[in-house]
Amino acid sequence: MDKLTAKFIEEATEHIQSIEQNMLLLENDPENPSYIEIIFRAMHTLKGAGSMFGFENISELTHDLENIYDTIRSGKRKITRDIFDITLQSIDHIKAQLQYRNEIPEENHHSQLILQQKIREIQDQPSGEASGPLSSAAPRTRQEVSKDASTYYISFKPHINIFDNGTNPLYLVDELAGLGQSLVIPYLQQVPDLSSLDPYACYAYWEIFLATETDISTIHDVFLFVEDRCALEIHKISDSNLLNEKRFIRRIEKQGRDDHDIGINEAIIIADEFRDPVSTKVKKAMVDAAAFGSKDYSISSIRVSSDKLDQLMNLVSELVTTQARLSLYAQNDGSNELNTITETTQKLSRQLRDLTFEIALVPIDTLVTRFHRLVRDLSRELGKHVIFETMGTETELDKTIIENLTDPLMHIIRNCLDHGIESTETRLALGKPEYGKILMNAYHSSTNVHIEIIDDGAGLNLEKIRSKAIRQGMITGETVLSEKQIQELIFRPGFSTAEIVTDVSGRGVGMDVVKQKITGIRGEIAVDSEKNKGTKITLIIPLTLSIIDGLLVQVEDIRYVIPLSAIKKIYAIQHKQLGKSFNNQIMLDGNLIPYFSLRQEFECSDIDDQAIEQIILIEYENQKVGLVVDSVIGEYQAVLKPIGKHYKSQEIISAATILGDGTVSLVIDTSRIIAHFNSKFETSEVKI
Amino acid sequence: MSKTILFVDDSESIREIVQFTLENEGYNVLLGSSGVDAMKYLNGATVDLIITDLHMPELNGIDLIKEIRKIKHYQRTPILFLTTESQAAKKMEAKNAGATGWIIKPFVPAKLIAAINKVIR
Repeated sequence: MDKLTAKFIEEATEHIQSIEQNMLLLENDPENPSYIEIIFRAMHTLKGAGSMFGFENISELTHDLENIYDTIRSGKRKITRDIFDITLQSIDHIKAQLQYRNEIPEENHHSQLILQQKIREIQDQPSGEASGPLSSAAPRTRQEVSKDASTYYISFKPHINIFDNGTNPLYLVDELAGLGQSLVIPYLQQVPDLSSLDPYACYAYWEIFLATETDISTIHDVFLFVEDRCALEIHKISDSNLLNEKRFIRRIEKQGRDDHDIGINEAIIIADEFRDPVSTKVKKAMVDAAAFGSKDYSISSIRVSSDKLDQLMNLVSELVTTQARLSLYAQNDGSNELNTITETTQKLSRQLRDLTFEIALVPIDTLVTRFHRLVRDLSRELGKHVIFETMGTETELDKTIIENLTDPLMHIIRNCLDHGIESTETRLALGKPEYGKILMNAYHSSTNVHIEIIDDGAGLNLEKIRSKAIRQGMITGETVLSEKQIQELIFRPGFSTAEIVTDVSGRGVGMDVVKQKITGIRGEIAVDSEKNKGTKITLIIPLTLSIIDGLLVQVEDIRYVIPLSAIKKIYAIQHKQLGKSFNNQIMLDGNLIPYFSLRQEFECSDIDDQAIEQIILIEYENQKVGLVVDSVIGEYQAVLKPIGKHYKSQEIISAATILGDGTVSLVIDTSRIIAHFNSKFETSEVKI
Repeated sequence: MSKTILFVDDSESIREIVQFTLENEGYNVLLGSSGVDAMKYLNGATVDLIITDLHMPELNGIDLIKEIRKIKHYQRTPILFLTTESQAAKKMEAKNAGATGWIIKPFVPAKLIAAINKVIR
């Protein structure tokens, strides 16, 4: 111990010397940030080491000083004469403390208090430059929770024998309450009559609403020792401090007064009622403004009707099209000056386009409330215990896509509840947690957004799916399918496994309709399921609908656009080689790939055997098909226009776009072509 | 009335640092250098919390916990043990023996106090 203390004193003396040195340098050059940085770090080390070795006084003093230097360091405060003086005085005081070691004379205590008082005064002074936000450096009591706290719901149900290893659950509730502002609801109705009461049994349980800035892992840490001796649920129910809302507290207290607890689902729903996305957005904008140091909060967000947004979007699309024309004209014919101007407007219109798309993006969050409601109502109706959780709900998508996603997602979640999650008895018998879980997870991946719906239920019943498909005549008894292929049968039209048509998912629509809708917004859907572990449905959705990066290709003298996202590779091939191939399949890089000649499909005249054609390898949901075209022209950014209802029944074209020279070009629907091809391919296979 | 903590560890320097930290917090501190040494306090003195290392000569930490739990008076007294991050199996063993919680070594005083506050006040 003595050796260690000696070491600390030696170290501390070095730090103090360094502080003194840098203070003097700073006096001559008060703006130099490197001196302040050194002083700050030395204070920090003194603070930490001081408390470790029992020099609490040093630690306390340096803590307050460190705060001041932190604000100076981050530019929120300027160094003043007062700060100078107090720092030097404190240094002298610390030196004295180190000399006395632990036998600190009484008058030294006194001077410490005076110093601390002075430091506090400086801390509380608004510093000339910035006002407002700076005062946050002042010490804050635990009860004072800042506005960006989040609200958590915690259900803590100790096992009846929790006292046995010396745990007192009350201390934990108390510790939890110490993390911020809290509303604790104890439930004591299970406490029996005195005659049958076991004093060593724990009958009580708690629900706690906690508003805190700490993260969820800190809350988990409170229960570190008892994780295996209690049922614990911790969920974030709001990104704001709901306990500042008197109405919220009244709601909770009223709910909690009933004999049974509130439960996570109800808590989320109540929390959602108090969520106002616009106000939080505005609040965030205001916080951002504050961070910029502006004194007055100007209005930084406004509401705009979605019609106007659509109009803006249309105009921008038109602009992009016209821009393409202008570029073409300038290239062919323009003077240098025209070319320069064109380039500039091209840059501007691209920026304008990107910005406009960003404006139309809406967070998935807007959907979530209604899913919570659905899960809550349905789980009650079905008598199942289900928790619905969400992750990544801040992920943004085009608002039209969001609109198109609502129904499919609803349907998928309904399926999870009805077919996925087992009844409580089954779950317990399988050794699963009593509460089933459905997780909605959204995240960005390149130009797509992935949305996963994961449940921990029974998983798909492959046997049932297979026999059903045979009955429906989709496959024959002999067809050999991998697990994955069987799982994907649920997306086939007309397929629905619900044994009993329940009110819930037996509405005449199955997963095929979901798939159709997702495909309609150029998305993909995949399923991955494991027996008794659960099912994961993944939706891959493009960020936006109206503009795509495409590849411009030519067949005869007409140009088409193929979405670049679907294209894997392009091969050149002599026409006669195609003629020799069997059953419309060709070897590419060692794989047998079915191909589809657009020339044939569009009934163009046959070309010369020697001619070189291009095979464009496209992929969709892990299936590959080659598209044969005459030539590839290059990349093209296509503004998609619907082609009207007269063309609805055809399967190859999804939209049209206007090229720079004013001609209309059709956009190939790669996913439908692959689907179309596969059905053709399979029927022929079954016949053989 | 201030609470009494029994700290058991075979390293003298750790005993001293912990004693210093805990006394600074206002606890009464009893020190044991081994499991056997610690047991002598448990006949008579009232101990509110026991903190023990697991690796000690004579009676090791886990056996000490088992012995303590056999004493009627100490059946529900909180017991914390010192362990390192990597000893997951040891942790389970100690918990099964009747320990209340653990403190990860190496620790700073603040962590020690935080763990103690979880089990006594």
